[in-house]
Amino acid sequence: MNIIETQNLTKTYGDFAAVSGLNLHVPKGSVYGFLGPNGAGKSTTMKMFLGLTKPSGGTFVIDGKQFPGDRVQILKQVGSFIEASAFYGNLTGEENLEIIRRILGLPKSSAAEALELVGLTPHRKKLARKYSLGMKQRLGLAGALIGRPPVLILDEPTNGLDPVGIHEIRALIRSLPRQFDCTVFVSSHLLSEIELMADSVGILNHGRLLFEGTLDALRFNAVSRGYPTDNLEDMFLAMIDADNRQRGGAR
Amino acid sequence: MSFALECGKVKRTGFLPAFFGGGFLAGAVPALNMLFRSEMYTGINDSPVSILLRANWQMISMLNILLVIVGACILYNIEYADNAIQRMRALPVSECAVFFGKTAVLAMVSVLLLAIEAVSIGGCAVYWFESDAGLYGEMLKNFSFFLLLMLPSVLASLLTASLCRNMWISLGIGVVCVFAATMIPARNFVLSLFPFAMPFQILADHTEDAVRNYRIAGAAETAGIALLEVVILKIRRLFE
Repeated sequence: MNIIETQNLTKTYGDFAAVSGLNLHVPKGSVYGFLGPNGAGKSTTMKMFLGLTKPSGGTFVIDGKQFPGDRVQILKQVGSFIEASAFYGNLTGEENLEIIRRILGLPKSSAAEALELVGLTPHRKKLARKYSLGMKQRLGLAGALIGRPPVLILDEPTNGLDPVGIHEIRALIRSLPRQFDCTVFVSSHLLSEIELMADSVGILNHGRLLFEGTLDALRFNAVSRGYPTDNLEDMFLAMIDADNRQRGGAR
Repeated sequence: MSFALECGKVKRTGFLPAFFGGGFLAGAVPALNMLFRSEMYTGINDSPVSILLRANWQMISMLNILLVIVGACILYNIEYADNAIQRMRALPVSECAVFFGKTAVLAMVSVLLLAIEAVSIGGCAVYWFESDAGLYGEMLKNFSFFLLLMLPSVLASLLTASLCRNMWISLGIGVVCVFAATMIPARNFVLSLFPFAMPFQILADHTEDAVRNYRIAGAAETAGIALLEVVILKIRRLFE
């Protein structure tokens, strides 16, 4: 069963199509890696899921709720972290989560739980503007995880983290479906990153979906098309390069 | 809930100290005026409140509007500075609710501001005019009028601040509006309906009909600017 499904989802800015006729199928209880080079349309797609950007065409369903009619219901079900972390710099980490907790109507303990999950408990009383880049990233993740939502939308969540932090957050994301019975939709431009986290992947280039399926299916697809299969990074690059060449050298 | 949330967001911004400080500064205006030149006013044959307001309200109201503009800028700067507004937009809370929560906060501190000034005016009336006959009724009538005429500038400042990611732009627009308002002749009814000029009006300067018209205009402008913000937010969403 798919928890997120899109039907011909499109976003255009004038003549430029950031996302074009996207048909995604995200299985419930999985970690879905959303891959693509910079500017492929990953963040735009995620913004559309959260109602931050209005689709130019098509529609989508999240947890049985249709956009745009059920937008508020969708936002109640989705924990999100989009691009750079967004927070109130004049408030502490704990106070930032308290605001989200009150909006979502969650129990008081949920803010502390979220801080604990991302390892920010010792820094909860520190002002968010004084956090390091990695700590801001963790605060953003805590904001997404608070209340254990059934769907998590994470846009490049390991950006700015040190290797230890990347490993910790990766392990956390990997464990979330099992721990909290949720679905994680996570984007990255690094296949090596997604490979270690995801059950299935969707590869996007210039707003179009090039591939969707499990990692095994991706390897099989690559073999059938004659792409290198020694490592997934090369396979991904070959796939993007072939698509770019097909489009007449556009990069 | 929005009101409580917005109150929580202004921690450590200097928002409340600014209003308390500004309130005491504005409250000091009539006291200092009377302290140094009380003989100019005590001989006038009018109610003490009217005399004091005519002598000081221009300065006090200008401070009030400047504080309202600064307050509105602070309230939206915390949303834009670290992109917190994006977090809010991804939560099940409407931007209109955020705006009206901020309006409630700014209106509440405006009441606080007026209360400090009312205490000062009342104190001056009792101390220098040695009369408190009908003082409370007159004060209540005057300051409720001031509050009503201040609401359009509260909403207009917040509307400007909500549209500008850069706080300095909304602050600059606000300051220009205040200076424009000070140049508007107070006797011209139509021109004095400019939201930032309305708070300069004093009850004692107008007939009952004019006061009624100002009250209607104040309420209409408040509702009109609120509606305009709702429309702007809806239009802005279409282009994102």
